[in-house]
Amino acid sequence: MKTMSLLVALSALILASCATSPPPCDSPQTRNLSAAIDHVKDSLSSGCAAHFDRYYDDLLRTAEGDPKPGNKRVFSEFLVWSADEGLLSQRQAKDHYNRYFNVKFMTLQSDYNNCSHTCPRRDRIMLDMERELSDKERGLLKVSLDNDGYYRADELFQEVELVLEATCTACSAGQ
Amino acid sequence: MELLSRRQMSHGLLAMATLLLIGESYATTPTIRLFPTTVVEDLRQTSSVAKEMETGLQEVIGQLDQQQQLYHESKCDGAEDDPGCQRLAKQIGATYLDMLGIMEDRLPDMEHTVNNTRLSLEKRLRSELGNKMTSWTLQETLLGGNPPKDTSAPAPSLRGRSGMRLSERFSQYYKLVASSSSHTDQSLAVLASDIYLDMEETSLLIARTREEIARATLIEQLNQSFGTITPEMMEVVGGVKSILFGDDTSFAPIAGPPPGSVEQAYRSPLQN
Repeated sequence: MKTMSLLVALSALILASCATSPPPCDSPQTRNLSAAIDHVKDSLSSGCAAHFDRYYDDLLRTAEGDPKPGNKRVFSEFLVWSADEGLLSQRQAKDHYNRYFNVKFMTLQSDYNNCSHTCPRRDRIMLDMERELSDKERGLLKVSLDNDGYYRADELFQEVELVLEATCTACSAGQ
Repeated sequence: MELLSRRQMSHGLLAMATLLLIGESYATTPTIRLFPTTVVEDLRQTSSVAKEMETGLQEVIGQLDQQQQLYHESKCDGAEDDPGCQRLAKQIGATYLDMLGIMEDRLPDMEHTVNNTRLSLEKRLRSELGNKMTSWTLQETLLGGNPPKDTSAPAPSLRGRSGMRLSERFSQYYKLVASSSSHTDQSLAVLASDIYLDMEETSLLIARTREEIARATLIEQLNQSFGTITPEMMEVVGGVKSILFGDDTSFAPIAGPPPGSVEQAYRSPLQN
């Protein structure tokens, strides 16, 4: 009798495990940023880590609906949590934050000098900077209301364009 | 009480250490040398050569303007066969040749000084910004290693200076560069790039103008036998006037930033 009930229990357990559906990984439906972050954290912790980029975009969209300077801190804390949970590396967390909320351009990260490395791919770099500027418009201006920060990033973009044009012309003249 | 004073002391020490570290980092920050005295002197000389050329051309261009006005007032357009109009056209042609002659005389000096400045700056830009910096350090130089600056402070103006006499433009460059000790590295990098690119264009234009002068002189010498005014002649005079004496219509002010937020800036631990 005991063996019978053990078999029934085991079969029920096996069936139940077969019936478990994959997590829905659905986007947050709320317009409240804190609630949206809670929803995203739950989803990311329950098997939806592969959808991180989509969730980050969802959170930015939610924050755009209620822009304020404090949103920078909220996103920073969310990214620190993501790194602590092992969803992102420290470097990825930094890149995600700085791309949207810092004046500096992550596109310009490099260990080699401008003549040998930046100039041969200047067009590509400027295109990537342009894309990053549009992310900064979203993060600094539309999410955090940091007009000065965005204005400085825009100005920096123009200065880099001018200085690189001159520097690369000078580099190629010396070859 | 003891705890408080110990904490205060440790805070004081921490602050002192921070200050020392900051002081040290400022002391060891390499300064970029983009404007040695040779570049400053080249700019001053270019300004003075441009001034000489303008003075020489001003009189002859004034004379051309008067002659053209007389030609139009005498209703010579469409009456080219009239002997009086032919005489006027020849006079205009002769003055035009004078103008080309003055330009031919002055342009080699101008070309020489512009090229000197361009080459000195080129060498400096290549070594200081091209070989000694990565794109990241360049960005940090442009930002000045500081938080976003006060947007009401005047930013170094960028390219596009038609609407200004050539000599004035170089004179402004000279003044900016001569007082470069009061500028920060970030504005110097922009200023050097701006001047260098402008010199590149000016240099090319001077070379092309010199080539064209020989051709235009030959054509005008031929025209002198027929006493005609060509549209090309008018175009060249107009072009020279706008290059040398400016064209105010092309001045386009840049819009200011939207009003900024006054809240204390947040600094994330993730921020670079």
